[in-house]
Amino acid sequence: MGPVELLHMSVFSLSYSPCGRFLAAGNNYGEIALFSLSAALSPDATSQSQKPVLTFTAHEGPIFSLISTDCHLLSAGNGEISAWSWTELIKKNVKPLWTRRPNYKSSLEIPEINSMIINPRDNSLVVGAGDNNIHILDMEHGEFKSVLQGHSDYVHCVSVREREGEILSGGEDGAVRIWDSRTGQSVHCIEVYKYEDCARPQYGKWISCVTTDSDWMLCSGGPALSLWHLRSLSPTSVFPLTGCQRQATFYQDKILAVGEGPYVSHCLLGGKVKAEIPCTSQSLNTLQLNTNSTEHRVLTVGGSSDHIDVFTNLSYKAFSLSF
Amino acid sequence: MSPSLFNFIDARDKFVDSAKCALTGKSSKPLTHTFHQIPGNETEKKTTLDQALRGVLGDQIDQKKATCDDYLSLIYLSIDAVTEGICSATTPFLLLGDVLDCLPLDQCDKIFSFVEEKVSTWKSNSFYTAGKNYLLRMCNDLLRRLSKSQNTVFCGRIQLFLARLFPLSEKSGLNLQSQFNLDNITVFNKNEQESTLGQKHTEEKEENMEVEEGEMGEDDAPAPCSIPIDYNLYRKFWTLQDYFRNPVQCYDKFSWMTFLKYSDETLAVFKSYKLDDMQASKRKLEELRMSDGEHVYFAKFLTSEKLMDLQLSDGNFRRHILLQYLILFQYLKGQVKFKSSSCALNDDQATWIEETTKLVYQLLKEIPPDGDKFATMVEHILDTEENWNGWKNEGCPSFVKERTVDDKPKRPTRKRQAPEDFLGKGPDRKIFMGNDELTRLWNLNQDNMEACKSDSREFMPSLDEFFAEAIEQADPANMVEDEYKVVRNPNYGWRALRLLSRRSPHFFQPTNQKFKSLADYLDSMVSKLAKELPKDIPSEEIKTGEEDDDDNGDNLLKESNDSPSIQSKLVTNQQMDDIAAKLGAQWKSLASHLEMKAAELREIESDSEDVDMQAKLLLVAWQDREGTQATVDNLVTALNAAGFSQIADSLSEA
Repeated sequence: MGPVELLHMSVFSLSYSPCGRFLAAGNNYGEIALFSLSAALSPDATSQSQKPVLTFTAHEGPIFSLISTDCHLLSAGNGEISAWSWTELIKKNVKPLWTRRPNYKSSLEIPEINSMIINPRDNSLVVGAGDNNIHILDMEHGEFKSVLQGHSDYVHCVSVREREGEILSGGEDGAVRIWDSRTGQSVHCIEVYKYEDCARPQYGKWISCVTTDSDWMLCSGGPALSLWHLRSLSPTSVFPLTGCQRQATFYQDKILAVGEGPYVSHCLLGGKVKAEIPCTSQSLNTLQLNTNSTEHRVLTVGGSSDHIDVFTNLSYKAFSLSF
Repeated sequence: MSPSLFNFIDARDKFVDSAKCALTGKSSKPLTHTFHQIPGNETEKKTTLDQALRGVLGDQIDQKKATCDDYLSLIYLSIDAVTEGICSATTPFLLLGDVLDCLPLDQCDKIFSFVEEKVSTWKSNSFYTAGKNYLLRMCNDLLRRLSKSQNTVFCGRIQLFLARLFPLSEKSGLNLQSQFNLDNITVFNKNEQESTLGQKHTEEKEENMEVEEGEMGEDDAPAPCSIPIDYNLYRKFWTLQDYFRNPVQCYDKFSWMTFLKYSDETLAVFKSYKLDDMQASKRKLEELRMSDGEHVYFAKFLTSEKLMDLQLSDGNFRRHILLQYLILFQYLKGQVKFKSSSCALNDDQATWIEETTKLVYQLLKEIPPDGDKFATMVEHILDTEENWNGWKNEGCPSFVKERTVDDKPKRPTRKRQAPEDFLGKGPDRKIFMGNDELTRLWNLNQDNMEACKSDSREFMPSLDEFFAEAIEQADPANMVEDEYKVVRNPNYGWRALRLLSRRSPHFFQPTNQKFKSLADYLDSMVSKLAKELPKDIPSEEIKTGEEDDDDNGDNLLKESNDSPSIQSKLVTNQQMDDIAAKLGAQWKSLASHLEMKAAELREIESDSEDVDMQAKLLLVAWQDREGTQATVDNLVTALNAAGFSQIADSLSEA
């Protein structure tokens, strides 16, 4: 990786190993880098520990989505999904277990896969793709069982509501759709940009992130980051953040959001922005909390640079891992 | 009769008995009585009494039945004895020292309260010089016995007592050389070991933490930490304490670089990690305060790595660290007499310190509660520190003001200038305007009209100067084309007209010629002028010729006393000499007509004995005063008025 490539690198996705000791990061060159968190967090960490223990090319295009199950790492980028075994990767064995491609109608252009999530109810993989559809892959049989159609533009992000067994998806068309996973029908469709409180017409109507906490939903993108009550399908709080947020998550009693702007925003549920913690990258694409391990319980964020910031204490950046 | 021998043992026994009586009787009379009874000289008796009192104290202590009050009453007795003059002044202090050495600490407390109360007695003249060293030694012994962290209040009381007892400039109480406590080393984990803090303590501290609440109290196993720890920050943060401990290190280049790097990182963390407003967590603080007694005070930093996060979120802790920075910067920048000459900051360091000071104050202001007030207070305190620093540099002079000696010589009062001097009638003939510049300007020429009429303000050119070019161009031999002639220039034409109206008679002569344009008119004028002016003659002659021709125009401009009119000529020196000779002793009568003041006359008289000289002086004074008005005309008038018509006539004829 020459310096020019490093300069133009963007990290799109992050995922932790099931043991919590490793972090996988996917970038726009199609590479996945594996970092050892335990080495980086140990007292005798050196600058070498902040470099990846393993880097390999997984896909031809950028890797927009990485997700871990309890023994696999799934990566998706330009239309195909690859699965890797964590144990093999830790042993530096880079052979994918399998590679699948959803059934796209058009064979001329291969749509990219923007987002994936595991639906634990029926052990399926929900894939939000660029052909405006959501594909469901059955993990046990390895077959695509259904397609959810309804969006009129590509799907940015997907999320699952475990208790009700519903899938939420946000797309470029500005709609957040709620699907019933069994029937495959769109139960609700919320057009966020139509709500005056949230709408920001200067940015557009696209929804780039949707995350849910069963009763609550966070969505953001063109419209402002807003907290929705799902039962009543109405926005409860709107957060006055400048820029478009690309990923948001609930954490204890706060909301963490990243997007345009070199900081992680901490917001309170009431709608107040509590803090903006500065980061290395000029804008951030993804943030992940390591819930798999208590010892290495850190927050990592990645964005438009080759650095991945690690926060041991949410309020300041401890150090950065880099490709 | 020889003085009877002083029997020490006998005397001492008697003193001991009477002391005991005095104690029971609570009065020092028995003692005084005994003192005067015993034969011997003062000194012997005094020293014996000292010994006796000490003996009594010793007995009391031995018996172990005595309470503090008993000791105290004995000491009171000794003080009374000193006041009476029967005991040497050091005795009470010796007794105190003995008591404090022999008693356990809780009783020492009570005795010390007594000492504190009596501070005014100790400071009084009879006791102070004798006792201050004893008191100092006694207090230091006590301090050595006490533990700073456990008997903090008692230590504080002793220090305060010493502060009240001794004046500010007491050298033993000052850190004259500004030395640092180099023993104050902060210990922290440099590698992964057992943490410096037990697990139990960790669980008790439940302050306003955001992240780690889940983790605390979870892990009972001693070895691995249950939370991710930022060792990088931990190490750098606590290394800074070494620089605060020994600031002189900062002057060394390499140490400075490390300090810089670590400080920048730490302050960046403080900056990004903003603290909550304490309102929300006030409830929690109250609970904490009730459960844990010593909440805010600590003598030394706790440096376990697990506490790092908690400490970072604590406002008081941050204030401590930021204040350390400010104190360090003040030392580095300050002038301290005892700093060696190698301890100087270069420009980069100074700049960095300036910037970081601003950042530190900003961070201080952001720490709730009352960040602004705290920051202003800190700034104020550091400012007063400068004064103390200066005081130390001067060798700690005493603050007692000495009465100033009244031996300043009386300054001679300045003679004020007489008013005439201002108005130009004084000996200098200058008009003082009160301001140097104005005086200078005014004395160039007092009369504005006169000044305007002076030659240097003559701006109008003469005809030949102005028209020289035009005349030359008009000459056909030069073959200048019409359009290039200067008379065609409207600006030139306008000025030419003005000049002609002022200087040339041709302007006013009626003419039947009809001129199509200004240029034509000027052409004709130029030709007329050319005829008048003799050609090829140097300009000075032309000028004089001009003057003869152009009488009309001149008189408007030129001063009348330039033209050769005798009447307006200034009086010359020769003329004045003549007049003076003729006047002789009668010059005084002329003086009144010349408007000379009596003061001036007196001056003239005093200046010279010779009447001729006086007359001359009169005329000179008159001339100085009049300046340009010192004309023959005026003098003649005055002479005639005074009745010296002959002199006047001779002057006019000359």
